[in-house]
Amino acid sequence: MLTKDELLAPLARLREDRIVVTTMSVLRPWARHSQSELDFASADSAMGHAADLALGLALAQPKRGVVCLNGDGSMLMSLGTLATIVDSGATNLTLLIVDNGTYEITGSQPVPAQGRIDFGALARAVGFRRTYAFEDADEYEQQLPEVLAGVGPVLVSVRVEPGTEGPLARTPSASAHYLRTSLRESARRLRATLRG
Amino acid sequence: MSGQRPGGSVAPSAAHLIERLVALGTTHVVGIPDNDTAQVFERLCGHPTIRLLTVTREGEAFAIAAGLWIGGQQPLVIIQNTGLLESGDSLRGTAGRMGVPLLCLVGYRGYAKMLAAKLGTAPRPFDAATLTRADVDSAALLTEPTLAAWGVPFWRHDSDIDTDKVVPNAFEVAARQSQPTVVLLTRGFT
Repeated sequence: MLTKDELLAPLARLREDRIVVTTMSVLRPWARHSQSELDFASADSAMGHAADLALGLALAQPKRGVVCLNGDGSMLMSLGTLATIVDSGATNLTLLIVDNGTYEITGSQPVPAQGRIDFGALARAVGFRRTYAFEDADEYEQQLPEVLAGVGPVLVSVRVEPGTEGPLARTPSASAHYLRTSLRESARRLRATLRG
Repeated sequence: MSGQRPGGSVAPSAAHLIERLVALGTTHVVGIPDNDTAQVFERLCGHPTIRLLTVTREGEAFAIAAGLWIGGQQPLVIIQNTGLLESGDSLRGTAGRMGVPLLCLVGYRGYAKMLAAKLGTAPRPFDAATLTRADVDSAALLTEPTLAAWGVPFWRHDSDIDTDKVVPNAFEVAARQSQPTVVLLTRGFT
């Protein structure tokens, strides 16, 4: 099982100019590894829809990679999105599921079927051709370049230690840079960045 | 003549709607078809300028559309009112909260029954007895009150004339106010 830092640090080193959409329990930790204008926090938003949002970005920006750091609980709320991703034909989306088995930021309640969900199998069943599952930090770090380099969509499930992240809030004093502005302002900033 | 109402007015044309959407700069249509919008979806398959993306639940549509807009595109959502009610938090938390100028065309299931029951202009909110009547569809009864409660501007669409007037107006209001707007489709397209 990986720590969040073991999950995020290699990705921060390798993400290049990819858009990274974060949500839930890794949202604040990711901001400790990245200060990019291409980071977008799906916070103060709609629960379970980060992967959908990332798909929209991927379709809008087909020449740029998009990585979604989604929670396992969030993914379970919108499993149909896996089918939509495949059907969309998007080839530039990496869907990375942070599988900590809990709804961490609401108090670490267990997700349904905790520990028994094979997200890779679910993804392959709807047509994902590339899936990865990691429980070991060294193996993850070693294979991450291959994960990111190949044609998408790709689903990566990573077993991560449950943490103690609290509820998310957007305030000017937030520790994470992308929580210091409103969701509306964040959307406009990323849109402006992407439009050059 | 196919597409005519007993009263004589002609059902709106899917081809004409799509021409209008192209003129408005629509790049993507995201949604789920119903009987009334099936012709629109059929004509959008393989369209040269508008990319069609069907989804598995209506809530996906608003989040995907928000991502498309942030990415520089001009999406539009087409769903039915039942799906609109299902996707309330997605509409609120993505397109709404992000201030996305997003036009949504929403099939108005139960509209004709609502008019037949003379409830189209009845005082609202409706009581439980009305919402459970067998001769009306509660999806229709709750559509406009729900949109009003959510602060989403909406208009009704009935004909090709509305395609030329109501649709561009709803698009312009969405752009000017940076928010989702809804056009309620009271009749099926041919």
